[in-house]
Amino acid sequence: MEEQVTMEAEESAIESGAVVTDAAYATEAVPKTKQKKPINQQKLQDNIWGWLFCLPLIVGTVWFVYVALILALLLSFTNYNLGTSQSMMEYLFSGGWKLPRDTSLDANGLPVYGSDGLIGRPDLFWWYRRVFTHTETNTSFNVTYNEMGYYLFNTVFYMIGIPIGMILSMFFAVCMSRDIKGGNVFRVLYYLPCVASTIAIVYTFKIMFKETGVINQILGLAGEDTGFRWMDQGATRAQVWGELIPGAGKKTGDFYTNPFWCQGIFTKLVIIIMSVWKGLGGTIILYVAGLSGVNAATKEAAQIDGANGWQIFWKVTMPDLYPVIFYNIVTSVIGGMQIYAEPVLLNNGESWLTSGYVSLIWDYGINTRLGNAYASAGAAYGMVLAVMIAILTLFQFWLDSRNKD
Amino acid sequence: MAKYGTNPDAPLPGSASQEEIRAYYSPLRYGWGAFCAFFGFSTRTHRASKKRAKLVADIVTYIVLLFGAFLMVYPFWWMVAGSFAMTSGFTGATDMFNRLVWWPEFTTLSPEAQTGGNLFYNYTWLFTSGFQGGSNGMPQVYSYWIAIANNLLYSVVPVAVGVITSASAAFAFSKIQWIGRNAVFFVLLAAVMVPGPSIMCTQFVMYNDMHWRANGLCLIIPGMFGSIMTAFFIRQFLFGLPTSIIEAAKIDGAGYFRIFVQFILPLAMPAIMAQALLSFMGCWNNYMGSFIMIDPNTSSMINLPHAMYLLTKNLGENMAPAIAASVLCVLPVMILFACFQKLIIGSLMLTGSKE
Repeated sequence: MEEQVTMEAEESAIESGAVVTDAAYATEAVPKTKQKKPINQQKLQDNIWGWLFCLPLIVGTVWFVYVALILALLLSFTNYNLGTSQSMMEYLFSGGWKLPRDTSLDANGLPVYGSDGLIGRPDLFWWYRRVFTHTETNTSFNVTYNEMGYYLFNTVFYMIGIPIGMILSMFFAVCMSRDIKGGNVFRVLYYLPCVASTIAIVYTFKIMFKETGVINQILGLAGEDTGFRWMDQGATRAQVWGELIPGAGKKTGDFYTNPFWCQGIFTKLVIIIMSVWKGLGGTIILYVAGLSGVNAATKEAAQIDGANGWQIFWKVTMPDLYPVIFYNIVTSVIGGMQIYAEPVLLNNGESWLTSGYVSLIWDYGINTRLGNAYASAGAAYGMVLAVMIAILTLFQFWLDSRNKD
Repeated sequence: MAKYGTNPDAPLPGSASQEEIRAYYSPLRYGWGAFCAFFGFSTRTHRASKKRAKLVADIVTYIVLLFGAFLMVYPFWWMVAGSFAMTSGFTGATDMFNRLVWWPEFTTLSPEAQTGGNLFYNYTWLFTSGFQGGSNGMPQVYSYWIAIANNLLYSVVPVAVGVITSASAAFAFSKIQWIGRNAVFFVLLAAVMVPGPSIMCTQFVMYNDMHWRANGLCLIIPGMFGSIMTAFFIRQFLFGLPTSIIEAAKIDGAGYFRIFVQFILPLAMPAIMAQALLSFMGCWNNYMGSFIMIDPNTSSMINLPHAMYLLTKNLGENMAPAIAASVLCVLPVMILFACFQKLIIGSLMLTGSKE
């Protein structure tokens, strides 16, 4: 009994602390002169702790994303490289970029740097112009191509995998959300490739698509040096249509002599197969979640009205699933624009036949293949990528808003 | 996908009995109808029972799903089986790597070449050899151990710290009223629209200037500040918790820090765990971070996927140790996923349906 009484007393004391209703307790617990202060104290506490709890995240995001973005934008208009004696901040904010203009270029068409690595930019938009207009020549096939065009073509070509993956995962998701036992087990099994490391999967596919590999054996194309080359990217070994089509060896068109349209396409197909296989599980989970949210009553009503399974799927399920599908398309396109690791790992490095646009950022901004890491070039390529992704995303949202009217 | 074929509820011609129908149709047509009905399709002669239709559809579904599951799982099994092969070059059609392997086999080499080999030859090689030489870079021996240790460091420390900082931010965003809360939240959320590769070059220069590259700090410190997506999902979870708990704790005299440590962290543990596991898997498989930021010629702080890339570069055609390395790289995340699949899939479904 005593315990109960004390507990009650405590409880009412607690109430009085929060809202001053019980006068007797309030006067005892909180002196009258300080009655207003606790509220202000509370607000102050709220503000201090709110900011404090967020501080790490704010610092991290601002520092590693926003500051990096602003610096990237500034860098892209200047001419900074990693070989300089100045740090990026010194270069940007102590006037390094104001150095006199110089238009001399080296053999690769890149700016020449002095011994200290410092030199003024040739032009404000010089890097941006280069992004769009730079052409490369492959000497072993005698092909001259617009670099950004080819790399962007690769990136976009990989997006063929998006609709394929969507249709397949929709099919499997519909199968899994039937009223069957063990649907969860399948969901887990299909998700396994998603948790596996890309590089491990790449090795498996690399061996399977070898000239003597499993796939060629199944297709009857295997052979040590005569087998079909899905992936050989060596400068002299890449296949062209002139070789593959009997009797087309003497044709001279770009289509027949440029491996980009033959070897490039086959290798990209392998990568598409791989990324569809790897990404299927995640999309299935998305769709299964979406399917479980489809209104069962509407479905049943349609069924009673005599609609068959096919009609119900298109007229009831699909409209309900539309937000999920739209979300999936938007995220896959954003992710697809940033494809990098798969082609590079499958070919042991960058290649004009398969690498996506991000490879250019790496190759100019970080790699020292051309003698220097041209950070400004990487920043400019990156800014162009960011703008392209933003435009694509906005375009999709515009289509979506038009759809709704 | 409720029914196949025609609607079984629709009446057969007239109100004819089964004998009349039999007499009306040709025996062939009648037999075909029986055949269809057996597989759950109603025709004019026979009406398939709903049960049968469902049974047949279920069986077809199972076959399709099992086939798909085979395609999803078999490459992993192939990986495991192949990791025991002792082979080099593997150009022959009977070589293990060129067949659909069903069971680990000791070797495909000639008996002379097998001497000294054993079932775990590739694993032994992997754990005792080095694959990247350099005066200051990866050492020549035991480089795989170093890569594993680095990978653990890169995927445990940033995730453990990062998920706590994300949770604290989520707590502030969902349960504390402070000036600028929504503005800060949307400014931070907008950061996810900045594509990673477009600023990766600047980040590279930044880390280079801060000397974070060679010692691997560039893969640890940024993650420790938490991520806005993690914070976003934990925030969604915290919205579901009653505010009265916090009010009560506040009145009892607990400060916000104590509330966070003693109430929010335990209560939000499912969400925090799911996000931590997902980020752990992401960090474990993070090929790009190490590949871009860390130079194996001058630093030994490369992570596991990067080490595997170097491994095949040095091995050339002999990929068997690389497959063994793949197994070891995939296994930890697979085990983790198998243990926590309910949590992870549940979280994925939740976040998927949120949009």
